[in-house]
Amino acid sequence: MPEKPASDLVHIRLHPQGTTLHVPRGTPLQEILFEYGVEFPCGGHGRCKGCRVRILSGDAPWTPGEEEVLSPAELADGWRLACRSRASGDVTLEIRQWEAAILADHSSFEFRPGEGLGIAVDLGTTTLAAQLLDLATGDVLAVRTGLNPQAAYGGDVMSRIQYALSPGGQPRLEKLIRSGIGDLILGLLEAAGRGREIGDVVIVGNTVMHHLFCGIDIAPLAHYPFEPARDGLEIRESGALGWNIPGRPPVRFLPCLGGFVGSDILAGIIASGMHESMELAALIDLGTNGEIVLGNRERMLCASTAAGPAFEGARIRMGMQATTGAISAVEVSDGNFHCRVLGGVPARGICGSGVVDAVAAGLKLGVIQPSGRFAPHVQQWHLATDVTLYQGDIRELQLAKAAIAAATHLLLLRWQAERGDVRHVYLAGAFGNYVDRASAGRIGLLDFPFHIVEPSGNTALLGAKMVLCNSDLTDDFADLRRRIRHVPLAADPLFEDSFVDCMSFPEPGAQNEI
Amino acid sequence: MVDLTQLHDAILRGDAKKAVAVTREALAENASPTELVSKHMIPAMDEVGRRFECQEYFVPELLLSARAMKGALELIRPLLVEQGVASAGRVIIGTVKGDLHDIGKNLVASMLEGAGFEVIDLGTDVAPGKIVTEILERKPNIVALSALLTTTMPFMKSTIEELRKAGVREQVKVMVGGAPVTQQYAEQIGADGYSDNANGAVAIARKLVSG
Ligand code: B12
Repeated sequence: MPEKPASDLVHIRLHPQGTTLHVPRGTPLQEILFEYGVEFPCGGHGRCKGCRVRILSGDAPWTPGEEEVLSPAELADGWRLACRSRASGDVTLEIRQWEAAILADHSSFEFRPGEGLGIAVDLGTTTLAAQLLDLATGDVLAVRTGLNPQAAYGGDVMSRIQYALSPGGQPRLEKLIRSGIGDLILGLLEAAGRGREIGDVVIVGNTVMHHLFCGIDIAPLAHYPFEPARDGLEIRESGALGWNIPGRPPVRFLPCLGGFVGSDILAGIIASGMHESMELAALIDLGTNGEIVLGNRERMLCASTAAGPAFEGARIRMGMQATTGAISAVEVSDGNFHCRVLGGVPARGICGSGVVDAVAAGLKLGVIQPSGRFAPHVQQWHLATDVTLYQGDIRELQLAKAAIAAATHLLLLRWQAERGDVRHVYLAGAFGNYVDRASAGRIGLLDFPFHIVEPSGNTALLGAKMVLCNSDLTDDFADLRRRIRHVPLAADPLFEDSFVDCMSFPEPGAQNEI
Repeated sequence: MVDLTQLHDAILRGDAKKAVAVTREALAENASPTELVSKHMIPAMDEVGRRFECQEYFVPELLLSARAMKGALELIRPLLVEQGVASAGRVIIGTVKGDLHDIGKNLVASMLEGAGFEVIDLGTDVAPGKIVTEILERKPNIVALSALLTTTMPFMKSTIEELRKAGVREQVKVMVGGAPVTQQYAEQIGADGYSDNANGAVAIARKLVSG
């Protein structure tokens, strides 16, 4: 052990994994747990209790504000919000998200106790997340996350396809992703302890990831009409994938829904429970490729709408990822604005949630006009000493938000529903977790009342876990998929008008009451 | 006499009703159709393009202005044809094969029209062979190609190759554009012009027809 003053480091034990972390005293739990794959559905604002942890041993005083979200009984029971707490002493923590019970939060999901261990994988275009589950209890035993190693060959799906079409490209991408996930699984197995057999592996991802992992010819996805040759359930032998997993489990990649809409969205539907309710709900995954599902138990429509990378801070002059130094939030009070910077250092850029907030703030303060243009005397907006918002950044955001808003509008139209009929809006994906819902409403990105919009975390992984715990190996979800229709927006004559209509920002007071 | 600065302003503001009304009144007062276009409408669209290029205007404003311009042009066009007035040049435009993105292409088409060009819009998902046929039939000065996807951009190259094979490459100038396209790519595939925006497209087209 390195010689450190005992008071400097504290020990955090994670239950039930048994991992022990040594961290400087006073470190926010959010920083520590985020690295371990714990999600913060409301963005760590203490507004939901998705990140709650229970202090099993040790002492962690609760902080003001927590009593608004957690009941006195929960507080007395040792529950705390991870996003509000700091590592003030040695503790053992139980993480609510990793327990089977959370699977049932949104749906009438019935947990069917199984045997042995299973692995759920969310194969994202950018990031990978894998969890090891005890199928008897549904508990998460280990979590591993990583970057998609294919990202070196293109950030978005189209660039990835472009690379795959070059000589030797597709086999190389296939090899990369298979070994990338293989590595995560090795990590999970190590955490589980030697000799434990795996019974089942479930993978979800968008259509391009499905093809590149399974080795299906990607060429049909390169251009219109984007009709995949094969996009159903794919089952592989783990050995055939180059994975040496005890128990030699079959590996299932769940089926896609149509066009670019893949099993990550199928899993999201399952996680949200919208397919079991009569209430009209929307599932919105805000990413470079925005995916939207609208419907209820009887029928659902889905679409993918290419928003572009503005939400990830790309194509924004001073844009950056949501890491240290990024302006992640902009608040307005008493006619002034105030920036929040990740990591508490001076700002050096702005991330997607910051851009949405900044534009919402600019609209409130009159710095930005509803047309998206800066006010007459303004050329650019200095948000911090070294960070400026430019006119082109606002234009980029207008394109991205209009693509999402127009797609939402079109699905409502095709479903023959009014905006007001929607009862729940589930926001999936990393950006959905961090974007401020009021700001998203203000700029017209999500034109729904604040209180029905629920940040829902990684619904793809959640759904994959539910499938792992509750379905037969050969289930191809034919019944569910029959109720979901894919709407290709590019061929829709109404899209362009709707897209242009959605490009401006709502006039003050015009958007939904929040 | 109707005040023709109103036509200019109506186009700039995107007020189609006003633009049409002023044009109708002016024509009733025997204003010269060519002068309406060259002295009022083209300068108005030039200003719209300038504002768009410096990001003062965005897609919605550009579309509204284009609509106002088109409304007025519809009244004037039959007279121009009657008088045998030549356009600034004939352009055929389309989004390349495999690609359905057309908003940018439509803006470019409108701006070219606003600049006095005759524009034949072939729509989206336009195969190289179709371009060849159209060149043979319509004898355009310029072929304008748009692509928004990394994966469809190569069809610009194959279109140019197809023109060469069909022996019509020398009969037209080719200009290309769309978000993923760059000046460098344009040069690499042997296109004659490139711009990253609709206003620039007009400048390029003017240059291409004049020399
Ligand atoms: C709107 C949009 C759509 C709409 C298209 C509606 C329509 N009728 O056009 C919808 C939702 C249908 C769509 C679908 C898809 N899209 Co899309 N889409 C966009 C988006 C958000 C804006 C494009 C746009 O209209 N811009 C506004 C116009 C005015 O700008 P512009 O097209 O660049 O045109 C200007 C200049 O480029 C230039 N110009 C254009 N053409 C020409 C031609 C000449 C000759 C010249 C000189 C100049 C010029 O002048 C124009 C005006 O200044 C972009 C992202 C973005 N932020 O740019 C993605 C984007 C282009 N789409 C993308 C993708 C992947 C798709 C899909 C394949 C995926 C999907 N989700 O389904 C499908 C495929 C559709 C198809 N079949 O072709 C990607 C492409 C990525 C890549 N690396 O190739 C982008 C970049 C988003 C992203 N990063 O993911 N999309």
